This record gives sequence, structure tokens and C-alpha cells, in this order.
Amino acid sequence: MSAWIIVAKVATALNVALLLGLGYIWGRNYLTFRSKHTLGLLVFALFLVLENGLVLYYYLIDPALSAWWHDESLVPMIVWQTQMAINVAQTVGLSFLLWITLD
Amino acid sequence: MEAALWYVLTGTRGGTNRVRILNALDEQPRNANQLAESLELDYKTIRHHLDVLLENDILTKSGDDYGAIYLPTDRTRRHWETVERIIEKVE
Repeated sequence: MSAWIIVAKVATALNVALLLGLGYIWGRNYLTFRSKHTLGLLVFALFLVLENGLVLYYYLIDPALSAWWHDESLVPMIVWQTQMAINVAQTVGLSFLLWITLD
Repeated sequence: MEAALWYVLTGTRGGTNRVRILNALDEQPRNANQLAESLELDYKTIRHHLDVLLENDILTKSGDDYGAIYLPTDRTRRHWETVERIIEKVE
């Protein structure tokens, strides 16, 4: 398996973990403050978790789609590289958000 | 400013304690030691929250570093309605 695709999978799994961390903090704050602002943050985390969960599902589990991500000959390298860039960019952004949120 | 106020006070892990600090300083400006005592929080925790609040121009301080007294900035005062709405939820 190409390094690009390993990085893409790891980054997606990290995104889920980061979002669960953010969702936990925002969920707790929502219970305290009950404001639309904390609710907005919580909904943001929820839908981004859904997005990353779906991506992880088709990378790893889906019977038809996951095969692509195990066999280098099925998907051109450029697709893997782009996919990796999308996932990693999100990991960097979410890491920064978690960093200021834990402050 | 209002967006920063909301995030620093309600979007972060330390938000609840920062709201308690702001409420205490509204009643009466105090230094870090007095805050730690009246809120029953660790001195280092108080210092950290004070730094975050200073950095975001929510608090200002007067006096030398060690005994400096903290109080809400004019900017915070202008948005006091928002702050009050947030404080209500923590009490």
C-alpha cells in the first residue's frame, strides 16, 4: 500500500479523534451555557465527525469501495495524493482548533 | 469583539472558570491571589486564565506585576449585556 494512502487513513482517524475531543468540550459547555453559539460549535463537530466517519468507512470497511484503497492499480496516484492532502489539511486545522479550545 | 468574547467564555474548556473570574472582578477588582482565594482555584490556574483574558482584551490590569489588580476593559464594559447573559448561566 502506498504511503499516501496510509497517511490519508491515519489523518482521517485522527480527525475523528480530534472532533470527538472538541465535541466533548463543546457538548459540556452547551449543557452549561445553552447558547446558540455553543450549540453551533457542537453541530459543527457532529457533522464533521459524520463526514470523517463516512470517509473512514469507505477507506476501510465498505465492501466495494474499500477495495480501491487497498489496491494501488485501481486508483491513479494523483487521486490518492489529493485525498491525502484533503485529509491532512483538515487534521492541521482541527489540531489548531483543539489547541485553542483546550486553552 | 463579541465573537471572541463568546468563544473565550463559552467555547473553551476553561470558559466556565473565566466567567467566574469576570463576575468576581465585576463585583470588585482584585489581584490574582485574592481571586484564587475567593474562587477556590489554584493560583497557577488563575494566572493562566488572567493571561488569556488579558490577551483577548477582556481584562486589563493596573499596578506592578506581582500585586497587579485586574478589572474588565472598557471594551468588555460596552458588551456587558452579553457578559451578563453568560454569567447568568454559570451561577
